[in-house]
Amino acid sequence: MPNRAVSRLLLTSNHLNAQRSGSSQSGFHSVSEGSKYSSTFKKYLVKDGNVKSYFHDLPLELDVEKGTANMVVEIPRWSNAKFEISTKVPGNPIMQDVKKGQVRFIKNLFPFHGYCHNYGAFPQTWEDITNDNGELQIFGDNDPLDVIEIGSKVHEVGDIVKVKIIGSLALIDDGELDWKVLAINTQDPLSKNVNDIPDIKKHYPGLLDSTREWIRNYKIPDGKPPNQFAFDGQYKDRAFTLKLIEENHHAWNNLIHEKIEKSDKLPIITNTAHKTSPGYIEQFQITPALPEPPASLPPDLSNWYYAK
Amino acid sequence: MSYSTRQIGAANTLDFKVFIEKDGKPVSPFHDIPLYANEEKTILNMIVEVPRWTNAKLEISKEQKLNPIIQDTKKGKLRFVRNCFPHHGYIHNYGAFPQTWEDPNQLHPETKAKGDNDPLDVCEIGEQVGYVGQVKQVKVLGVMALLDEGETDWKVIVIDVNDPLASKLHDVEDVETHLPGLLRATNEWFRIYKIPDGKPENQFAFSGECKNKKYAEEVIGECAEAWEKLIKGSVDPKGIELSNTTLSLASTVDASDIPAASPLPAAPIDKSVDKWFYISGAH
Repeated sequence: MPNRAVSRLLLTSNHLNAQRSGSSQSGFHSVSEGSKYSSTFKKYLVKDGNVKSYFHDLPLELDVEKGTANMVVEIPRWSNAKFEISTKVPGNPIMQDVKKGQVRFIKNLFPFHGYCHNYGAFPQTWEDITNDNGELQIFGDNDPLDVIEIGSKVHEVGDIVKVKIIGSLALIDDGELDWKVLAINTQDPLSKNVNDIPDIKKHYPGLLDSTREWIRNYKIPDGKPPNQFAFDGQYKDRAFTLKLIEENHHAWNNLIHEKIEKSDKLPIITNTAHKTSPGYIEQFQITPALPEPPASLPPDLSNWYYAK
Repeated sequence: MSYSTRQIGAANTLDFKVFIEKDGKPVSPFHDIPLYANEEKTILNMIVEVPRWTNAKLEISKEQKLNPIIQDTKKGKLRFVRNCFPHHGYIHNYGAFPQTWEDPNQLHPETKAKGDNDPLDVCEIGEQVGYVGQVKQVKVLGVMALLDEGETDWKVIVIDVNDPLASKLHDVEDVETHLPGLLRATNEWFRIYKIPDGKPENQFAFSGECKNKKYAEEVIGECAEAWEKLIKGSVDPKGIELSNTTLSLASTVDASDIPAASPLPAAPIDKSVDKWFYISGAH
């Protein structure tokens, strides 16, 4: 084997086995390929040198008693790049959303800087596009359930964080239901004081209203109308939200077992963790390429937009 | 005329210093840079000390030769402002006007408080995030009278003349039209920013109202006069380093002993600076 190929293989092997901090899930870490802030960027979940799916293989570990679950961080607080778990690419890496051929950044909505919380998703959950949610008559948005993590620490893209579930807000995004679950890092010093929505009012004055305002208005700078909410924009409590997560976990289970009516729109279900799923494979045949230097950020990320 | 910066050491360390240079030669941002950037006095020079969305409390040194920008310390520790939800760091490009001084010997007739012994503070509201030591050309829009621990600490609201909005902003009411909520947020920010450090809420004179451009120009004129007296030695300098390289005064010095640039990459900022503080009743 030529030397270059050997060294490349070694690099790749180091790359796959590199340990990093920030993940509460022992054994899992993440590996980047390509250039951040470009369409080549992918952040894969890795365990024991093998790519795993952020969507299907990482356990949710919902503990209804403690009210905790695992969250995948997609977008760190105070940043603008719209990273998300890809539901269509094998291995479900975290990639930057692309609109009209351009990687997507959200604008700064005054007085906020980028996303005002750590933003991400629950693994092994799915907002079912075939479920009209009964009285709401609104179908799910076909993505994992979104999480807003309010702890003090600024996380990194791909971090796995054990969070305590507090409540939720029912966003209607382009006619689809897109729940935002409010949660807090269990390692946060304040997390022990926070169990339900009233605790947020007490310990985080201004957070509930500001967060709702941000979600309502954050697409206005892109020329879109304000977002709408179900339930008059009222926050649902912890008990409701735990049930919501269970339902979305159940919907995900139906998805990977092909109990949902087939359609091109559905996420891929390839996984290495569920032998009863038709999407089960022994191992992903994916070797992430090495990371490249990040692309430059668009200059207008310093702009502030004012919603009138 | 072109200004540049001469960096010594790494940001977020006690060694960090940013000298200002004019045509490559060190000048004092307090004393050498002219306040007015045109004959008509409609464009002013401003020195950026703290870029928007950052926390390090950087300021023009009053004690060091040629007044480099350094990070403020408290009990030997670097000072960072706290993040008061929903604000991240400073919400403006924050800095000072050169050749101005808020005279601590003077009681202001309307605020009934003494000056804070600093150059006049400036909040630049344009869309670009500035950099430490940047000399910006700005136009004046208004002024707020913060009473910071009993001293008058004027905050002049300005916009970079090169900002796309600059041609539409002429006075304080235009700020509310084109940047709705900004003045209210500015008021809130200055009232609460020291609460996480255990200090009481700051007060504003004039019920927190932002005074108009004319009033701001008067305040700037007074602070320019006070600086004139300071640099000419006709008042107690209150420990302020008056060295300069261009004024041809007794205080004018040779800058050959100012160290050459030795910039280092920024040191990591302690994670605790990321913490968000929620202030009850702030909004």
